[in-house]
Amino acid sequence: MSGDDPIAAFRVEAGDLLEGLEQALLDLSHQLDNRGLIDAVFRGLHTLKGSGAMFGFDALATFTHHCESAFDRVRKGLTPATPELVSVILSAMDHMRALVEGDGAGLEAVGSDILARLQAALGDAEQPESAAAAPVAAPSATQSAKGWKLFFRLPPGAMANGTNPLILLDELRDLGEAQVVAVVDDLPNLPDLVPTDCMMGWQVELRGNISREDIEDVFIFVMDDMELRLEPLESEEEAPVAAQVETLPDQSAALATADPSAAKAATPRASESVRVPAERLDILMDRVGELVIVQSRLSQLANSGVEGAAGELALRSISEEIERLASELRDTMMVLRMVPVASLFNRFRRLVHDLSRETGKTIELVTEGESTEVDKTVTEQLADPIVHLIRNSCDHGLETAEERLKAGKPAAGQVKLAAQHAGGEVLITISDDGRGIDRARVRAKAEANGLIQPGQVLSDFELLQLIFHPGFSTAAQITNLSGRGVGMDVVKRTIEGLRGSIDVASEQGKGSTITLRIPLTLAIIEGLLVRVGDGRYVIPLAAVEECIELPVSEDLRMRGRSMIQLRDALVPFLRLREVFNTGTEPDQFQKIVVISTGGERVGLVVDQIIGSHQTVIKSMSSLHREIASFSGATILGDGGVALILDVMHLVAFGQQREARLRAVG
Amino acid sequence: MAESNKPQWNEDGQLEVLTFDVGEERLAVEAVMIREILDLLPETKVPGAPVLVGSIVNFRGKIIPIADLRVAFGMAIEPSTPDSRIVVIETELDGEQTHIGLRTDKVHEVALLNQRDAADTPAVGLRWRRDYARGLVRRPDGVIVLPDLPQIFQSAQRGGEGRQPLGLAY
Amino acid sequence: MSASILTVDDSSSVRVATRIALTGAGYSVTEAVDGMDGLNKARAAKYDMILTDLNMPNMDGLSMIREIRKLGNQAGTPIIFLTTESDDAMKQAAKAAGATGWLVKPFVPDQLLKIARKVLGR
Repeated sequence: MSGDDPIAAFRVEAGDLLEGLEQALLDLSHQLDNRGLIDAVFRGLHTLKGSGAMFGFDALATFTHHCESAFDRVRKGLTPATPELVSVILSAMDHMRALVEGDGAGLEAVGSDILARLQAALGDAEQPESAAAAPVAAPSATQSAKGWKLFFRLPPGAMANGTNPLILLDELRDLGEAQVVAVVDDLPNLPDLVPTDCMMGWQVELRGNISREDIEDVFIFVMDDMELRLEPLESEEEAPVAAQVETLPDQSAALATADPSAAKAATPRASESVRVPAERLDILMDRVGELVIVQSRLSQLANSGVEGAAGELALRSISEEIERLASELRDTMMVLRMVPVASLFNRFRRLVHDLSRETGKTIELVTEGESTEVDKTVTEQLADPIVHLIRNSCDHGLETAEERLKAGKPAAGQVKLAAQHAGGEVLITISDDGRGIDRARVRAKAEANGLIQPGQVLSDFELLQLIFHPGFSTAAQITNLSGRGVGMDVVKRTIEGLRGSIDVASEQGKGSTITLRIPLTLAIIEGLLVRVGDGRYVIPLAAVEECIELPVSEDLRMRGRSMIQLRDALVPFLRLREVFNTGTEPDQFQKIVVISTGGERVGLVVDQIIGSHQTVIKSMSSLHREIASFSGATILGDGGVALILDVMHLVAFGQQREARLRAVG
Repeated sequence: MAESNKPQWNEDGQLEVLTFDVGEERLAVEAVMIREILDLLPETKVPGAPVLVGSIVNFRGKIIPIADLRVAFGMAIEPSTPDSRIVVIETELDGEQTHIGLRTDKVHEVALLNQRDAADTPAVGLRWRRDYARGLVRRPDGVIVLPDLPQIFQSAQRGGEGRQPLGLAY
Repeated sequence: MSASILTVDDSSSVRVATRIALTGAGYSVTEAVDGMDGLNKARAAKYDMILTDLNMPNMDGLSMIREIRKLGNQAGTPIIFLTTESDDAMKQAAKAAGATGWLVKPFVPDQLLKIARKVLGR
């Protein structure tokens, strides 16, 4: 467990550091003069070097040191940051990752190559500073004597700064037989005495085989500020005291003897741990607490010998409690494995950056819904398919800058990754604004591979589905970008292996969108809990733009209208009381929750906004599943049930209603 | 009535059921389908749901619909009484094993019904749809109806008994 | 009662390593993740020793040391900072800010324990 193993903890930390560094470098490549980013990169390299050295990752520390020095020049303004430099450091990250995971054996060539490129990027032939070599211990003269006579006085402020003269005296006493005499000549009069000031001196006679270093070592922290007079009691030899050069056991030697095998010890891969928000652990703790209580009730019952109906009843009650707790524990545990897709999406920033360089096209990656949560194993299995889809978009989908400009599009192509929950599923879309799928080419390829007959009539949908056919991409790979043996058919199979489905939509000249639908055994929603009449409802927080008070006067003015004035805009609104036909009277002070999705907005009028609420989406039985306004239900803290509003449907409904009312006049 | 829905009498011609009252009718459901009998739970209405299953409850961490069979049998909806219970059954719905809570006015007992007392549902004289029952069983204390639950639920999904009224021409 | 040590470092692996070394030697350890956290913890309780890195977010080590010395409750508490071998300027600055001594990075547990014994006595 990384909690007890510093090496494992270091690996995890190094992983995070490298990830953070990568993101900062990618940001830097778009803003080369951003001081904040430059400092952040430097700090990251510096920390990585220091920690690496501390835990025995010498190759890593040395390599990182060179990168850090290079970046120090940028930080000091001696060299500008260039895209070339950023790219080299990004490659250096990969090398560092390898060094963190292993011991660097066999990677020296790679390392030297990168450092050479680093030098080239810095634009001069200056040799990199030599690695932080172990400092050579300054040979110092030592004298061994039968004893020493010394006098020392500390600066007045020494005690306030944590130096304890009594401990220093104890240290001296440890060196040999000591006689200590306090020297109080300089003590001021009592009224002038500042108790925290050290005004005393000490005279110490030390007998034993003690070296000067030993004594100086005692005073190492205060050496610069104190008064120290030292003379040997008698020297061993009358001969001139030759400076005996003695190498101090320097710390780097100590470091070298730190067990190198510790670094190679098999440790669990960093990716096998999961970051868990503390609140989820609190919930787990609560459940465990309840379980403990129920267990003691069971134990009591077992020992009480109550029989018959009373005993059965008590047993049944306990059994029900346990069933409830087991179910909740199961839910809570699954929740712990949920991670936001941001962790997945971030990996692709680097990919798009590299693809942009390789293809020579300017490509932007836009992400949406990064906070959508998905089970950890699902993110891992989605990585490869999404990489392939992104490569497809960058390689085939997006046009070159000139083509785009000619077509009236912005020069930079856009790849968009979006994630959202829809009931018990997560929807991930990969879309681009490129040239779209060329139906004629698909058809030609399908015919060439014998998937369809020439002249066979197919709907557009069927035609597009052909790209997922195993036999479709057997024709020679166009470029090596989309190679790697991952065809669209493999993508489809992987998604289906997750019990999901994949869809493609494409408009020629405009772009393509691939939609992955993955069912989740469990989905978490961060929601806004509201009350309408007697019922409580949860609105996905991600869709909530704002909440506004609805004054009574405004409410009256809204009668018969279809829109409300929201600052400068008119927004359609829905009174949920009416939509859900609660049959209750409205609260005096109603609220409007403005929700938005896909750029469209609707204001929902509710009676009360209760608060935000994080909870598990429970899907409903097939009897209720198709009700469009709700995407599921959830259990609240008091055991009650709240329905989760389907934002997309309500927004569409609000817009339609508004259009209808407007048409009617 | 689907063939597979006929009561599965055992080799002795008997069927173990739980009997309960819904309105004026006494109904019976196979004991093997029964999961639990609960006191009434706080219900949450589902706007837009079929009237038959107009609300849901939290059953041990699961969300299950509450079916009010009075709707299926055309009876008036009366307020609950201290004897009202929810009988939780497990049955297949759209290919999934689903828990559903049946609202009952009074639960009686687990009884053994005899095939020889069984009769087909009469063609006329019923206040409710003939295909909602799988059969009747005569007993000294009255007639027991065996409801065809899958049929009732399917019909509800198709909008049989109507849906909860929603405002704004939903 | 064992001596209590406050360790302040934004590197979780360093905190883990120092905690293991110190608790193994019988000290009780409280961890802080940056200067601000360290200052808050120092304000709340008296420690027998404080060990801190200098390069941290949310208030660096030097500022934290200065602020801790202004607190009443940590008078005389030894504060040891982590430094790289060659950085004499930093050592001077830290001492001027009120630090007691230093430990050179990278260090092995024994060096840490030696320093702890040195400033805490027996």
